[in-house]
Amino acid sequence: MNARFLALEVRRAVRNTRYLMFTVIMPTVMFLLFVNLYGAKGQVFPNGLPVTTSLMLNMAVFGLMSAPLAAGARIAVERSSGWQRQLRLTPLSSLGYVLTKGALGMVVALPGILLVMVVGALFEDVRMSAVQWVEVAGGLWLATLPFVLIGIVIGLLATADGMQALTGVLSMAFGLLGGIWIPAEVAPGWLSAVMHVMPTYWVKLVGQAPLVGGADLGTAVLVLGAWVLGLGLVAAKRFQTDTARV
Amino acid sequence: MTRTTALRTAVTLTGLHKSYGEVHAVDGVDLDIAPGEVVALLGPNGAGKSTTVDMLLGLTAPDRGDISVFGQSPRDAVVSGTIGAMLQSGSLLDDATVAETVGLVAALHREPLPVAEALAKADIADLANRRCTKLSGGQKQRVRFALALVCDPDLLVLDEPTVAMDVETRRQFWRGMREYTDSGRTVLFATHYLEEAQEYADRVVLMRSGRIVADGSVAEVRATVSGRTLRAVVPGATAGALGELPGVQAVELRGDSAALACSDSDAALRALLVLWPAAHDIEIAAVGLEDAFLALTASSEETK
Repeated sequence: MNARFLALEVRRAVRNTRYLMFTVIMPTVMFLLFVNLYGAKGQVFPNGLPVTTSLMLNMAVFGLMSAPLAAGARIAVERSSGWQRQLRLTPLSSLGYVLTKGALGMVVALPGILLVMVVGALFEDVRMSAVQWVEVAGGLWLATLPFVLIGIVIGLLATADGMQALTGVLSMAFGLLGGIWIPAEVAPGWLSAVMHVMPTYWVKLVGQAPLVGGADLGTAVLVLGAWVLGLGLVAAKRFQTDTARV
Repeated sequence: MTRTTALRTAVTLTGLHKSYGEVHAVDGVDLDIAPGEVVALLGPNGAGKSTTVDMLLGLTAPDRGDISVFGQSPRDAVVSGTIGAMLQSGSLLDDATVAETVGLVAALHREPLPVAEALAKADIADLANRRCTKLSGGQKQRVRFALALVCDPDLLVLDEPTVAMDVETRRQFWRGMREYTDSGRTVLFATHYLEEAQEYADRVVLMRSGRIVADGSVAEVRATVSGRTLRAVVPGATAGALGELPGVQAVELRGDSAALACSDSDAALRALLVLWPAAHDIEIAAVGLEDAFLALTASSEETK
């Protein structure tokens, strides 16, 4: 992997106003909106998690999901535009390209997480210890990996035209069925069952684990690990056929 | 083929085959290019030029055959920066500047030229900070040229390099190319423009239906078709008698006006004047590369 390549990729992403609007600023705006809409300040879920904190975590998950999906999906554009062919005339290997896109997905996920947490701490009275802040942010960030892989799989499978729609549908599905827009705490039974197979739900759980006792981190690692493994296999398979076609 | 001959040539293609389903895109191509040669790859659409170029660059794997670029496999030649290429369809990044794009490709290579030098050679130093979306077609081509140059290659491969350029830009482009080839670099370019091949190539390789149908200097390729055409008004001549003349391959007679397609127009003219001293309005014209091109590619349609 080439540092200069990654740096340019990040610079390109940051230049993209859609990226800034939808994946960095939007989650924070939604957070502020929900907190004030629900008038949830001071209320606490039965598991001991303040509603404000829970909403903040939900929006952090929303942000960390959207950014790498969009970043990975851009692979589809670069496949069809011929830029990938251009890169194949350099020493950069195809694997190096995909790994750089993965690193990019991790990097672009971070600002959205951090912004919503900073706003939560400064303006919405979200309180936790310094260690907890680091654990929450770090846990969420690590748990971004399945979404990075989903982005890459979309990028490798979809056409440049289909990519946008596919990303939209998937983030909607992961958000709605994963407890981002409807808190798992208030979801009806059948929805709660669906939520338990969504990566989104478990990413949120990883985020709140440092704050509530008895979080099922083992299952979270298991489910997220299964997503990573499955997606990794799909990506590797697709990647092989892609390079074999050369 | 021995290792030493592989090193003495810049490019060696041996028995190259590539099919896409039923279509034999490249159907047995053998080609040696010596270091320092400037070779034009000419041919109509679907002749197999782009597939040949893609295989040479390691973008497409051949079904059969060998490719050697200065003794290396195509991919090794790319990795070592021996080969630089300007792709026809290669798009640029919309959200990066010219300097960033060229800088990135430079950073990926092992021993690149300084970015400023590559931009200067491609005559786009003034566009360094321009976004790639804000470039004209010709400017984009020159950015692609800079991308091909920045690895400081020994072999430069260009696929339809001047396709989006106006006449003046095209001339400028080739002037830059001349400077480049004067330093002893090898160039292979695919083109539709016959006059470009005629003007800038040492050698023309003509492809048709996946095969090489003519290969040589511009003059040699012309000769492959029919050498020269001799026209004259020959009172009293018959087509049969004209056809008997030495060096004449075909005769067209309208009244007294004869057009003789000659393999050896000198011999034909001498014999003609001996037999018909009254022949007048004599013209001998070389067949242009364009005629050669049309003749060679048209014959493919007839045999099909």
